[in-house]
Order: sequence, then C-alpha cells, then structure tokens
Amino acid sequence: MILSMVDDTRTTQAVVRAHDLVKVYKRGADEIRAVDNVSFEIQSGEFVAIVGPSGAGKSTLLQMIGCMDTPTSGSLEVDGHDTARLSDGALTKLRRERIGFVFQHFGLLPTMTVAENVAVPAMFSRKDVRGRVDELLRSMGIEGRRDHRPPQLSGGEMQRTAIARALINSPSLLLADEPTGNLDSATSETIIELLQTLNAGGLTVVVVTHNDALANAAKRRVDFKDGKIVERE
Amino acid sequence: MITTLRYIITNLGRRPLRAVVTALGVAVAIATVFSLISFQRGYQAGLKADMDRLGAHLLVVPKGCPYDAASIALHGATWPCYLKMSYLAQVASTPHVAVAAPVLMSAIYLPSSEQVVYCGVERNILQLKRSWHIDGSMVNNQAAGPSPVEMVTGSAIAKAQGWKVGDVVKLPGLTGKMGKITGILQSTGGADDLFVYMPMARAQQIFDRPNQITHILVRLDDPEKMDDVVSNLRGCDAGMDMNVVPLAHLYHTIQALIESTRLLLYCVALIAIMAAGAGLSNTILMAVNERTREIGVLRALGASQGHIFRIVWSEAVLLCTAGAVVGIAASIAASHPLEAWFRANLPYAPTGALITPDAMLVIACIAGAVVLGSIASAVPAGRAARMSPALSVRAVGGEV
Repeated sequence: MILSMVDDTRTTQAVVRAHDLVKVYKRGADEIRAVDNVSFEIQSGEFVAIVGPSGAGKSTLLQMIGCMDTPTSGSLEVDGHDTARLSDGALTKLRRERIGFVFQHFGLLPTMTVAENVAVPAMFSRKDVRGRVDELLRSMGIEGRRDHRPPQLSGGEMQRTAIARALINSPSLLLADEPTGNLDSATSETIIELLQTLNAGGLTVVVVTHNDALANAAKRRVDFKDGKIVERE
Repeated sequence: MITTLRYIITNLGRRPLRAVVTALGVAVAIATVFSLISFQRGYQAGLKADMDRLGAHLLVVPKGCPYDAASIALHGATWPCYLKMSYLAQVASTPHVAVAAPVLMSAIYLPSSEQVVYCGVERNILQLKRSWHIDGSMVNNQAAGPSPVEMVTGSAIAKAQGWKVGDVVKLPGLTGKMGKITGILQSTGGADDLFVYMPMARAQQIFDRPNQITHILVRLDDPEKMDDVVSNLRGCDAGMDMNVVPLAHLYHTIQALIESTRLLLYCVALIAIMAAGAGLSNTILMAVNERTREIGVLRALGASQGHIFRIVWSEAVLLCTAGAVVGIAASIAASHPLEAWFRANLPYAPTGALITPDAMLVIACIAGAVVLGSIASAVPAGRAARMSPALSVRAVGGEV
C-alpha cells in the first residue's frame, strides 16, 4: 500500500548534493554562521537522521534542503536542480512537487478537517486528489478521523495527518523537523515505524531530531554541531 | 475537497467578532455612499418629473418668494396672495407665449387632517397637461351658478373618496356644495392625483375670489426665447405685481442648493470610506501577523507568493463585499424612514420617490467595495507574500 505512494521510477542517484554549503544570518553587527562549509550527499532511498543540540543549525540545513531557504554560499542540488539558479517560483514548484514537509508543531490548519488538511498542497497545484486522500488516510490509519478537526485529534493522529499531507503530491524527498518532538514515547514509536515503512517503500527520508530512538531507526546518522558535520555514519 | 474559497471563509470565521466589526465599518461607508447617490438620483428625477408634469416653461406667481410659490404650485396648498385675472390677458398676449393657463388653487383641511386641493382651471390647461388621460371628459368652462360644479378629480382622491364618473357628490370640506364628476384622471404619479379640478368661474365663486387667480402656467412656442419672454413679462404693466419664474432656472437653483449640501455629505462619506479602509487594513495586518507560521507552512507546502497574496487579498475583498451587501441592504431597508426624514427637512421635496436605488448602483457600490478591499489589503497581502518561508515557519504563536 505505502509502496504505491512513491515514485518508483527513481534511481539511486543523489537526491541532495551539497558542496561547501554556508548559511550566514546577520543580527545587527553580528554574523551567525548557522551552516558552515558543509558538504554531503543524500542518495535516493536513504533514511538520514541529522542529530545535534539546539542551535546547531540542523533546522537551517533542513530548510535549505527543502528549498525554503537559500545558501549564502556553496552549492546545493535538490532532485537534480541547482537551487542557487532557481527563482522563488521555481523553488516553490520544486517544494510543491518533489518535497514533503513534516513539522514538530504539525502545522495543521485548525478550521479544516483532517481530509481537507491532507489535501492542502493540492489547493496550490489544482489537482483532484480525492482518491489519493482516501488512500493516504487509510494507510495512516486515520480514515475514521477524516471529518474531524485538528483540535479533536491526539498528537499521534495530528502527526499522521501531517505525514499524509506531506505525501499527497508523491514527493521524492520527505523532510521532517523534529517529527516526534511533541509526542510521547509510545506515539513517537508509531511515527518512527511509519517513517521506516515509508522509507522501506523507496521514499528518501531526512529527519532532524533529538530523539535517539528516531536517530537510531535511520539508516544513516549525521551529527551536527556549530553548523558543521562532526561525525558521519 | 478543500478549495481556496473555503479556506478563506473559514479564516474569516476564526475571529468572527473582528470580522463582523470590520465588515460593519465597510457597511456604514457603503450605505452612506449608496444612500447619497440614490437620493441624488431620486431627487433629480423627482424634481424633473414634477416640472415636466406641470407642462409649463414659466410660472407666473404673485410677488413673494418664487420658490415657495413654485412649491405650492407643484404640491398644492392655499396661497397667501393672488394675481388679478386681468393679468392673464397681458401674459397671453406676450410674444412667444403659446399657452397661458390660469389656476386658482385652494386647499381645504379636513377634520381627518388630510387636505383636499381644489384647482379652478380653464380648458386650455389640457394644452399643457399633454400626458393627462381622463376617464370621462374634461370640465367645460362652466359659468357661475347654483348647479353642481363639474369636476375632474385625481385618481388617488377619487379612489380614497370612492368616486366614479357621473357621481354627484358633496365637496369635501365645502359645506353644502355639490359636484358632478365628469372625469377621473388616470394616475400621473404626481400631485395631480390628489387634486380636484373645476371650472375657473365656479372656483372663484366657491372660494369667493372673484377675478382672482393664484398663478399662471405658461408654455412657450419656442423655449429658446425664454429670456425675451421673461424680460417682456417683467416689463409689462402687471410686471410689478408678479414674479416670473422660469422652471428650468428653478430646477437648476434647487439642484444647486441640494448640490452644496451633497458635497458636504460626500466629504463625510469619504471620511467613512477612509476610516473603513484603515480599519480593514489594520484587521488584515493583524491577521497576517497572527498567521505568520501558518503562512510559512503554506509556503513549505507549495504556496507561491502569488497564492499567499491572493489568499490575503481575497479575505479583504470578501469582507468588503459582505460589508457592501449589508450596507446596501440596510440602505434599501432604511430608505422609507430616510425619505420621510428628508421630506420633513428639505425646503422642496419632489412628489415621487426621493431615494431610487437601481441595479447599476448596487453593482457599482459592490465594485467600489472590491476596490476598497484591494487597496486596503495591498500592504498586508504584499507583506504576507514576501515573508521568508524559512523564518515565518519558525514564528512563535498563532493557531498552527
């Protein structure tokens, strides 16, 4: 079931390729190097956990991979596109069509039902996704909650809804920023299993986490500190 | 499935009180503009219709305020002073005067506080009142005498009194006087519907005004000769005792009086629109600030800058449109009490509807509200669209 959600035409090429990646934020006269000369590749079908303390630059790195932010210097290729050469519109299209996002805070629209929340990305691509929504809700085990609104859901159900929403456009890359950060350990376990299942179906998954269980569940662990990769594998 | 419109509507529902107050601000502004324009059009049309119904180019009235005299002639009342019947010949013989129709008007107030307006006329009034359609026949130039007076009555008074053509009836307010109804005017939509017309000689006898009239309705053979005719009438022997009122001038003078008030009211409406726009802009800015993280999430999910701009813009336009619909509906609902208030306070109020809303005005007001919403939301929508997805998704607070 889950296998059918992903694009099985993908090869084992690098989905993400970063070279000397730098991101500098300016706060007044100060410069903060959130990401400092980082080079790495993520191959199609990988499950990568980026682990590190708060303020290490993990989320900044994830956002650059997700085309939500652009590097100050260095090069970053996502799904074969050099992000530095893309306009805001092209980056948006890349995010919409090739990348799925999952947030720690779920990011669900409170006035919309579960089914409507799952379909939000289609609001921008103007696709008819009714069948796909039903399929995803079944896969996530929340089909009985389709007409409920987020405040009526448990944390696990909200995160499942967010994951279903991330998968609605059949992305090649799933990015999750602390996906278990707001969940208890039992619920976290089910979300970790879900991410593993998606990855087993061929989907490339990149998570940023503090959660050891999630980091250990990934196929590759990347430790991040002070904007730099300090250890690989 | 989710549509942008549904998302926008549910967004407005998140802060219902704020949305309602903002929409009401727009409603007040639009209602003000809508009422003003409706009134302007209605008044203008009503005034013109009143003048046209009179059928004359000139009104010759006794000395005094010409506007009061014109108002009495148009609406019907008892006149405070009179013209000599002999002036009629001088008026009629003035070059370019095609018709000079004398009228002796007198209003009788009934115990029921209604008034009946009697007009003594000659048959030549038909040459002015070309739009009249009489069921039955016009009165003849009946000489004074004891027999029932011949009458043509307006449709409204005939209906109210239950009169029919051929009836011999008691004249309301005139004890012991009888009248025979020779004809009933089909509805004119004006004051004529409430008037009772009788032969001049009989009216002078009944109201004890021998050889007196209240005014003369004058039609010219060439309206371009108006200035010459007015000049000649003012210079004739009777000129010292009468006012010559060109109705076109009267129309423009009254319009100018109303216009000066209208400009003041338009300033008030402009302030209301600006206040509504500022309120709307503030509301949308607050909504954008509150939903910074949500906007970041939407950008992450594939919303372009254009999508975000359109969402915020649409919310503002929807609020404005809702406000405009409420404002227009309220304005239409309040038109009767407003009209009554106008009638009680205006120096001259035409007979017909003073407030005449129409479909084009409704569409124009709604379009105006859309423009207001577009202008007011330009800054907040642009700001929302330009937000960095990376920074906004990290924003603290909000419901998402």
